[in-house]
This record gives sequence, structure tokens and C-alpha cells, in this order.
Amino acid sequence: MTIEKILSTCVYCGAGCQILFTVDKEKNKILEATGANGVTNQGKLCLKGRYGWDFLNDPQILTKRLTGPLLRKNGRNSPLEPCSWEEAVGFVARRLTEIKKEYGPDSMLVTGSARGPGNEANYVTQKFVRAVLGSNNVDHCARICHAASVAGLLVSLGSGAMSLSVPEIEDAKVIFNIGYNGPDSHPIVARRIVRAKQKGAALIVADPRRTETARISDLHLQLKGGSNLALVNALGHVIIEEKLLDKTFIEAHTKGFEEYRELVKRYSPESTESITGLKPGDVRKAARIYASTKNSVILWGMGVCQFSQGVDVVKSLANLALMTGNFGHSSTGVGPVRGQNNVQGACDMGALPNYFPGYQSVTDKEAREKFEKAWGVKLPDKPGITLTRVPEFVLHPPTPEKKLRAYWVFGEDPAQSDADLSEMRETLHALDLVIVQDIYMNKTAEFADVVLPATSWGEHEGVYSACDRSFQRIRKVLEPPKGVLTDWEIFSRVSTAMGYPMKYKNTEEIWNELIGLCPSFYGATYQKIEKFGAIQWPCRDRNDADRGTSFLHKDGKFATKDGKGVFTAVDWHAPVEVEDQEYPVTLSTVREVGHYSVRTMTGNCRTLRNLEDEPGWVQMNPELCKDLDVKHGELVKLSSRRGFCFSRCFPTERVKKDAVYMTYQWWIGACNELTIGKLDPVSNTPEYKYCACRVEKVEDQNEAERYIKSEYSSIKARMGVDKEVWA
Amino acid sequence: MNGFVQGNPLLCIGCRTCMIACVVAHEGKRIFEIDPDGYDFHPKLKVVKTWAVSAPVQCKHCENPACLSVCRSQAIYKNDGAVLVAHDKCIGCKSCAEACPFGAIEMVTLCSEQNSDGSPRTVANKCDLCQGLEGGPACLSVCPTEAIRRQDEETLSDTLKRKRVGAAEALLTLGAGDHQSHILKSQSV
Ligand code: SF4
Ligand code: SF4
Ligand code: SF4
Repeated sequence: MTIEKILSTCVYCGAGCQILFTVDKEKNKILEATGANGVTNQGKLCLKGRYGWDFLNDPQILTKRLTGPLLRKNGRNSPLEPCSWEEAVGFVARRLTEIKKEYGPDSMLVTGSARGPGNEANYVTQKFVRAVLGSNNVDHCARICHAASVAGLLVSLGSGAMSLSVPEIEDAKVIFNIGYNGPDSHPIVARRIVRAKQKGAALIVADPRRTETARISDLHLQLKGGSNLALVNALGHVIIEEKLLDKTFIEAHTKGFEEYRELVKRYSPESTESITGLKPGDVRKAARIYASTKNSVILWGMGVCQFSQGVDVVKSLANLALMTGNFGHSSTGVGPVRGQNNVQGACDMGALPNYFPGYQSVTDKEAREKFEKAWGVKLPDKPGITLTRVPEFVLHPPTPEKKLRAYWVFGEDPAQSDADLSEMRETLHALDLVIVQDIYMNKTAEFADVVLPATSWGEHEGVYSACDRSFQRIRKVLEPPKGVLTDWEIFSRVSTAMGYPMKYKNTEEIWNELIGLCPSFYGATYQKIEKFGAIQWPCRDRNDADRGTSFLHKDGKFATKDGKGVFTAVDWHAPVEVEDQEYPVTLSTVREVGHYSVRTMTGNCRTLRNLEDEPGWVQMNPELCKDLDVKHGELVKLSSRRGFCFSRCFPTERVKKDAVYMTYQWWIGACNELTIGKLDPVSNTPEYKYCACRVEKVEDQNEAERYIKSEYSSIKARMGVDKEVWA
Repeated sequence: MNGFVQGNPLLCIGCRTCMIACVVAHEGKRIFEIDPDGYDFHPKLKVVKTWAVSAPVQCKHCENPACLSVCRSQAIYKNDGAVLVAHDKCIGCKSCAEACPFGAIEMVTLCSEQNSDGSPRTVANKCDLCQGLEGGPACLSVCPTEAIRRQDEETLSDTLKRKRVGAAEALLTLGAGDHQSHILKSQSV
């Protein structure tokens, strides 16, 4: 036996934990994963990091690993059949060239991937879209997640990332945690919150649910879903009214305060009580605690972003930090904690319709000329379409010429993850060309004309960006199955076949090209990342002395053009689809700690599947259960104006009677059949956290159980699970 | 005194890594190579969540165990500071599960063993402190927030000492009001 120890970064969330793998090289098998001493994780791992590598063994629980390209050789209605890489690449190149010629470059959209592939693959993807297709139609799942944070903070502070780093959280004196459920989404970040509390920090949690963080908080503001902005403005109101603000900081480092002061006059805790459902005394208390230190940290997640007013709330949270001088030093500021392992990275790499890598705007002439020179082609200057508008641009384009024709889905599964799934299915049907690039068969691949199999995390090299801007290395732990290619190699081959030769020896070569084009990443060489374990951007100098930046906006100098933080004054408005008689409760989508994203990976990990499996749970207040006469574990039917699904009743007093909660990774209990595609006007993030729905008792439980079972078998069959494999 | 593992609800984040660790410790790493339905997934501790609490609950390894005294088939025994179940002797009568005041015993069905009539075998399952397994209690070693600790004679006596000091200090303000004001008065004279 040749045993090797290999260090890598976890693939499951932005905490960026370091894992040490023990590998049997001869058998090409992982024997064990233990926590390594990474900057963020200090030797600890959550269940996904510790047991979530099992999918690399391909146990075929939910889906089957792809090991060669598939093509519908005889048109749309023919089955996907194995083909050679030459055929697959030839097909993709030919079809894209045809579509580009006939309908123009903007008739195609390609996604980046915030999951396994890594930064280098995303860099190559956006380069392909911009340089070869000639469009800025590149985007990724940050759109359905933290796009609001990026858009909002860029305006307020000039940088869309967490202003502090994960380890700094534990030295905060106050943590204001709003719409963020760390224990379920980033257990190892939650650990820092627990430690901060142990060290004496005050913890204020604003969440409609009694989350684990709310449970251990000093003050839980259990607000009504959809009322975030009313609360945040009320906090600003109290800080001004009770003169808790930092006048010196406001004068020296910000602009726009007067307009903001005028607006929040209308938002007293008393006048907003009917919107938030919170006692004015509690809101006042929260404001006093928050404004009492210069080490107050605001953490937020999807409970802020996945609303049609997400960007406004993000900017308003920045207002709170600006008016209290909570920027410029360690353990302070704002923390939009990025969800997926490399969603920060996919943004960093410019897998966004308006930014080149390194947040250099496509509308900025100087930046564009730099990339044109480097890539040797003319580049488009108009921002592209966002991914959540794909249904609109396919089904109801603004003009017929603007219709989208081709969709290259790289490392995502919109037929599971996007809002309003029946509309998404209609969209995929209506496209002329659907290309899926993934490690597994998935729901979107069922609509694909061609499926391109890639190497997985654990089978390739690269760099991820953790939620706090840390660049960390991922390493090849196992040999990939024969017949798959790295993601960047796939894009390079198609690009070459389309007449723009791209050839890279390895990820380091790609990395060097991209850091050379991004001043804020310029100093973060592979060598330095190796040497120091993690480098947080900005890192501008190749010299070893520049080890990156742990917190942003030092001494109140913001990343905006004039260095000032910007106050934004915005009014609250109600969510788009509110409850009524027909659909009397609201549905909000949340996270399951042991599962990740669309579940193709964790759903194929034995022990994680043992802990939770189809069809998943719907969290309901015990009184609602009583009214509907449903018990723990019983199957219930949920429906909205857009669709329905079945789920198991989970009575819990941690949620209020007016709302139910479902996690989005179940394929049978798919809550996105119900969610609404209504978008924030700026970030284009859907309102996943609020739509009207109805829960019904299912009389014939046996029949319903049979349905779940047969659905599961049918999914497995469609996903190519080999029945004989364990026989 | 028997030791036991104990959760701390102020540190627990409810992630249930401990529950998987318990299974992996007992079933062995072989489970990552076999039929996904070919092993038993029966954690010997359960994470309980209510409005006020999240914490793992497991056996206290009682000195005079209720489970042991009700077991009619001598399946429960004490060994080296732990209360254990001999699965081969367990007849699945459930008496121990009913008797345990902490709900720490669960009846589980085994995937690879049958009763004499061929039906799947159901036995009592409980924390064994990972006795005989390398590395000691697995739940404790994986918990990301160190919310599980081993309570033994020494740690318990530390806890008790601390509590006694607290109780003694509380005497100054609680219940001993008259006495206290008398002391204060005499001091001020
Ligand atoms: S906290 Fe996140 S990065 Fe760390 S082990 Fe868990 S999933 Fe992986
Ligand atoms: S592993 Fe630790 S934090 Fe997680 S549920 Fe168990 S005791 Fe709680
Ligand atoms: S000590 Fe061992 S047997 Fe007991 S609950 Fe923990 S992991 Fe399971």
C-alpha cells in the first residue's frame, strides 16, 4: 500500500476549511479525512467536510458519475448516447458558431461555476464567453444568492466582499446577525460566533426563526419575514435619535448622511412595529448595543439577499456600520458570508455579466483595452444578461432579436436550484441548444443536447476563494475516471475548435495570466499561497512582505473612487406575493446542514444521505400542524400559484405560525416548484424567502409513501444509476 | 465512578457531526466501500432540539443502571466504567428502553441479522463510550464547537466545587437577608 497525505480545501462552503486526506494511492481511494490547521478552521470540520468526500467513490445513491461525453446523435428527441470527445467538442463548436452567425453573440449565455471547478476554470470560462463568443452573457449562481451583497456593497463601500476575515469574528464585541443561519450554512463560521460569545460578545439575532444562533443570542428579534428594511431603518432611526452616532467618522469618511437622516425619521421602532411585529423596546435595545462599540460586526446571509429588496437592505446595513464608525480596523465591519465554497471566487474571476476578473468593469474603457490587448480581440462593452433573466429572454424576449438561443450550464443545475421550476423546464425546452458540463447526470442534463463530463473537486488542482477573500489551494487527491477532462481543458478545446486557440499546461499557467491582469490579485502567486496557506486579496505585491489584507477599508478609507463610504436612503416595501385566503401561509427556502447545493454531491455520500434523505421536511409551527391535523413525519402537500410538491411535516416551535420553511435540495420535495421568480431590480436575485403557499393534509398516507418511493426509483433510473452495482 | 460524555447546549450548534461520527466509529471505515444500504446507521446519541436547547443526549452510564436491573436476559452489563449491551443476548423486549430515565436507549433494527423466525432483528442500542475503539469517544473528538466533553470523577468534582463556591457566595444576597444586614450593621458601627 502506498499511503499519501494530501492537503486540500473543503468543497462545501465558503468557510474554506483545510482538510488532510489520507489516500491509498494504489487503490486510488481516500481512507480518511481529518481537519488540518487552516486559518479559518483550526483543525475543525463539520459533517460535510469530514464525510462529504464519499461521492468520489461513486456509490450511485442518487445519480451516477459521468465518465464520458453524451450526445443526442439524432436530434432533440433522440436519447443521450456516449460519443467521443472529438464528436462532442465538434458538435458544441459547430452549433455555437451557427447560432452566433445567425442570431449574434448575445443570443448565448454561459454560466460559471461556484462549486468544484475552481478559479482558473472560471477565468477560462469568462474569457471564452468574452473573447470567443463576443458577449458578456456570463453569470453564475451568485445571482440567486449573494449578488445583492456584491451590488449593494460596491455602491456603499466600493467592495462587495466581507470587510473582515473569519477569525476576526471571534474578537467582535457585538455581533448583529441578520438573516444568517451560520450553524446550518457554515458550521465553522458559526463556531467563531460561539467563541465570540464565550469571550463575552453580545449577540443580537434578527431572524423569523429560532435558529441555533438565535437560541444562544442575548437578544432575538423574531421579526416577520419580509420586514428587514423596516427593522434596519428603525435601528438607524434610534441611533440618530439617541445620539449614538459617530459624528467624526461620518464627517471624515462618508457622504449622503443628511438624506439618510431625513428618511429614517419616518422609521421609529414604534411606527414600524406593525410591519416587523417587534416590540419597540427590543429594537431600541438592539440599536443601543450595536452602537456601543467600535467592534460591532454585522453578519448576513440569504435572509437578507433573497428578497426583491435585497440590495436595499445590504446598503442599509452598510449605513449602520458607517454611522457608528464600525470600519477601518480589525473585528469590525460587514460580513456577507458567501455560501458555496467558491462563489466568492467565481465573482473574483469575472463570471459576472458586468465585470472582468478582479471587479474591473466591462464598461470601463481602460480596463477593456487592457483585456483586449491581453487576449488579442475586440471585447463587448455592454454588460450581459443575468442568469435569472434567462427564462424571460427565452420565453418573452423584449424584442424577437433579443431571444436567447443557447445556454451552456457549467457546474450548476437550474432545473433544481432556480425559482419556479416549471417555468425553468419550459425555458430549457424552448432553447435551441442546451449544453451541460458537470460531474454528474442532473435534472438540467435531461434537457441537454450534449453533456460534457468534467473532473471533480479532489481530482484537479486549483485555487478557491473563501468567503473572506482568502485564496487557498485545492489539490488533486485522486486520479479522475478515464474519459473526463478538466473544466478549463473543455473550454480550451471548444475555443480552439471555434478558431481561437487556447492552450494551458496547468492551472498555475492560467493563474499567472489572470493575476497579471488583476491588480488586486497580482501578488497572490501559487508560491505564496503554498507558503502561507492562504492569501487574502487585495494582495498587490509579489514580495513576501505583502501577505494580503485581512480587513478592508483601513482607517476609514473606502474602496470607492473618492474613498468615501456612501449612505443610501431607501424605503421599505412589502414582498411581492403576500398571503391571502387561498394561499394563507408563506414559504421560505432554507438550508440543510448536511447537504449542499442541488445535492448531486452530498446526496451521493452514504452517511450524509443516512442523516437526511428524500423527500425532506417542511418546518411547521405545532399550532399550524394541529389546525391541519398533521403529525411529525406525515407527508403533506404544499402548493403555490406555480406548482406543488410533497414533504414531511416537521413540527417545531422554532418557527412561527404564519410561515413554513423547506430546504431546497430535495428532488421530490422540491420547494422550487413553488417559489416565485420575482427578482430584485438591481441584483436580479429571486425572492426565495417569501411566497404565498398552502399546506394540506394527505389522507391516504400509504399511497403518498408509495408515490415517494416510486419517484425516487424513477429519478435514479433517469440519472443512470446502475441497479446491479451493489447486487 | 463511571464517566460519561455530556453535551453543552450553550456551545452546540445542532450540526449532528457527532451522530455520524458515532456510526463511523462503530461500523468502521469499510462503510465507504460497501453497498450504501449494507450497514446499520444507528447513532448511539441523538441531538435534541427544542425552543431553548440543542444538545446531544446519550447514556449517563449510571452506577445502578435502571436498564441493567430490568433486563431479563442478562444482555446489559458493566465493564470497565461503562454500561454495555451484549447484542447477541438481547431479545428485543424493550424493557431497558422504557426504564432509562433519559431516553438514552433506542430499539434499532439490524440490516444483516435475523430473529429465529427470519424477521429482521431488533435490539437495544446505546452509548458504549466507544469502548475498545481507537481514539476514545468519537462524538467528542469531532464536534466542531467542542460542545461535548467527558465527565469523570475529576471533572465532576471540579464542577461541583465551582457550584459550591457560587452557592456559598449567593448566601450573601439570597435568603440570608436579615443575617447579612446584621453583619453589615455591626461592620458599620
Ligand atoms: S464548515 Fe464549510 S468548509 Fe468547513 S468543513 Fe463544513 S462545509 Fe466544509
Ligand atoms: S457535533 Fe457538537 S455541535 Fe454538532 S450537534 Fe453534536 S454536539 Fe452539537
Ligand atoms: S461516546 Fe462513542 S458510543 Fe457514546 S455516543 Fe459518543 S461516539 Fe457514540
